[in-house]
Amino acid sequence: MMKKAVELVLLLLLLFFTPHIMGKRYSPPGKPTLTRCRSPEKETFTCWWEPGSDGGLPTTHALYYRKESSERVYECPDYHTAGENSCFFNKNDTSIWVNYNITVVATNTLGSAFSDPVDVDVVYIVKPNPPEKQTVTIMEDKGWPFLRVSWEPPQKADTRSGWITLIYELRVKLEEENEWEMHLAGHQKTFNIFSLRSGGKYLVEVRCKPDHGFWSEWSSTSYIKVPDYFHREKSVWILLTIFSAFIFLILTWLLHMNSRSLKNCILPPVPGPKIKGFDNQLLKNGKSDEIFSALMVSNFPPTTSSNYEDLLVEYLEVYVPVEQELMQEESKDLHGGCLKCERSTSDSDSGRGSCDSHTLLMDKCGETKEEGRHTDRASSRMLTEAQRHQKGWEKDTLTYAHGDMVSPDMSNGRVKTWPSVFSPLPQYSSNPLDKQSSLEMAKQHCLSTSSCLTQPGHSTKEALGPSNWDFCLGNKQPHLLHPQTQVGRQLQAHSEVNISNIGRKQAPAGLQSPALRSTEYVEVQRVNEEDLVLLQPVVSGCGRIEGYPQMPKGKDYSKVKGVDSDNMLLLQREVMEEDWCPGVDQEINGGTGNCYTSSTVNTTQKPTACIHTAMPVQGDMALAMNGYVDTATMCTLPTC
Amino acid sequence: DGQRLFSIAVSRVQHLHLLAQRLFSDFESSLQTEEQRQLNKIFLQDFCNSDYIISPIDKHETQRSSVLKLLSISYRLVESWEFPSRSLSGGSAPRNQISPKLSELKTGILLLIKASEDGAELFPDSSALQLPPYGNYYQSLSADESLRRTYELLACFKKDMHKVETYLTVAKCR
Repeated sequence: MMKKAVELVLLLLLLFFTPHIMGKRYSPPGKPTLTRCRSPEKETFTCWWEPGSDGGLPTTHALYYRKESSERVYECPDYHTAGENSCFFNKNDTSIWVNYNITVVATNTLGSAFSDPVDVDVVYIVKPNPPEKQTVTIMEDKGWPFLRVSWEPPQKADTRSGWITLIYELRVKLEEENEWEMHLAGHQKTFNIFSLRSGGKYLVEVRCKPDHGFWSEWSSTSYIKVPDYFHREKSVWILLTIFSAFIFLILTWLLHMNSRSLKNCILPPVPGPKIKGFDNQLLKNGKSDEIFSALMVSNFPPTTSSNYEDLLVEYLEVYVPVEQELMQEESKDLHGGCLKCERSTSDSDSGRGSCDSHTLLMDKCGETKEEGRHTDRASSRMLTEAQRHQKGWEKDTLTYAHGDMVSPDMSNGRVKTWPSVFSPLPQYSSNPLDKQSSLEMAKQHCLSTSSCLTQPGHSTKEALGPSNWDFCLGNKQPHLLHPQTQVGRQLQAHSEVNISNIGRKQAPAGLQSPALRSTEYVEVQRVNEEDLVLLQPVVSGCGRIEGYPQMPKGKDYSKVKGVDSDNMLLLQREVMEEDWCPGVDQEINGGTGNCYTSSTVNTTQKPTACIHTAMPVQGDMALAMNGYVDTATMCTLPTC
Repeated sequence: DGQRLFSIAVSRVQHLHLLAQRLFSDFESSLQTEEQRQLNKIFLQDFCNSDYIISPIDKHETQRSSVLKLLSISYRLVESWEFPSRSLSGGSAPRNQISPKLSELKTGILLLIKASEDGAELFPDSSALQLPPYGNYYQSLSADESLRRTYELLACFKKDMHKVETYLTVAKCR
């Protein structure tokens, strides 16, 4: 120990002075440092140090160590085995569970430098060598390959006696990859690697570590190539892909085949315009004129102004049953009618005629008698005569009218039954020969009545109610009236029928005949062979009865207003063709036309009609002058 | 059957050793660098309480020793730490309590000794002698050197555990 210290001092002096003498700049060595100490098997160990600057002089290093339990300093026994700057401690010098205090000293001529001491316990510096004899083999597990790696512990490590226990770890990676796959193997010395890539090249390395120590270095790399094997998964996928492609093709084909029907189902077509005569092509062409011309209907709308009257029924065929014919015959034969009229004229009641249509005719008949002075007498007589005719006729429809005629009330000569006027011509039990005559008489009667009605200065239209005077009181009255008036005349032999009065005061209560627009009258022209009543219009507004009425040759038919409850044909003349005045004057003047027998009905309308006025003409002349028909005179019907 | 006992004993001592290692590393990390250097120096001069127990210190000696000797040494070592380990705390978990584990380990080693051929002979001799010095050794030290004391304690404990582990492993593999 002392020896060494003396040597050390001498060395330091030498080192100090040597650079001084030499003139160079030398320095003592730098401080070395122990880098590490390692034991590979826990039996020996080696320490390495890093020398400091040498100071320009050759420097030597020495390692000194001291064990924990003694103060004795030992120097490294072996500097060479482990290489440069190392110290190798062999088995004899190595004690386990003993702390070594190791120091390295660098020395040159100028001085020496001590390193820091390091405590070393061998147990904790064990770093084994990497595993040896590493083998990698490919093995198969039900068609799937895997790697089996096996190795041996490092040779120096005595694991067999249990002196040292090692744990292992390996790592695997594909050749083209960068990341290693680590696997801890534990104490075992074999390991299996699965999930290999077909045809891949693998690298395998192993390392070990003692239970308290450091990991060894990785062993040398083992290369292994996995053979190509057919993936069962791949085959399944390929089949699946082909199958699905096949199905897809089929679906596409089906879709294409049924594209239209599917299209209609999913996207129903929008209905286009369907206009008859509308041509889409024309529309596309853009010629609007042609398009709309196609749509045009030639007849619509009617451009020519038509006479509305034309639209109206100008004429109609009236089917007159046999009864009517008889009635017509009877109408010509005024005999009975006159008689009845006479009887009916006995009624002197004049106040009932206004409201009660039932007794209207009767009142008229009566009035004619009483108000003989009145110009309406004639008309009323005519009415009564009409009643008479009605009564005489077999027509059942003339209910109350007949009754009225028959009843003594009828004797009043008042024309009460307006509706009776509308009734069809009552059948007459007269012989067919008298047909004509009766008809004519009826006409005349009508004319006369109309003239009577028009006397007051009112137009027939005015005088007459809207609905009450539809019957042919005048010339224009339908033929129905004629016989009735004739009858009425007959009934009221001497009574005056104030038809106009009646018409005025009469309320249209009972007579709800259809409203007539005009007071135009139609007279029965004749009855043809076919039992058709031919009517001719009578000019209205003709207030004067002058001259013989000219018989209109034209065949004009009145418009049938309707049939009332009593089966009375309500006629209405629509068109006025001739304006001829009833020839009342003739009658009054004592025309001896066709008259009813023993009746006062005067048909002044026709020249052929002769009117015998059995009744005294009172003031009738004046009436006649004014256009009124003297019913009195009319009542007298000559037998023609 | 012997192998099973050995395996159990080895595993237990391994666990203890790991605990000791953890305790020591925790303590050492809590120290300052300066203190660490001083402690290192100090430690070299002190001894562990178990130094009086003669034990093989290298592989050669270990392999030369008999199984029984190894077992007895292990037993004595474990027993020596049974009392001082109470000041050590392996952690809050009951699993990490060192003292009971040492007791269990001692029992196991005893079983191993009895199972060996010559167990009965050595047992009564070694156990009685060593108990008193343990208790007195650590109590005699001054209280202000607690830091140094803890360091020593942990270091010695760790070392001894490793010894036992090694001996048992060698005995098992023998």
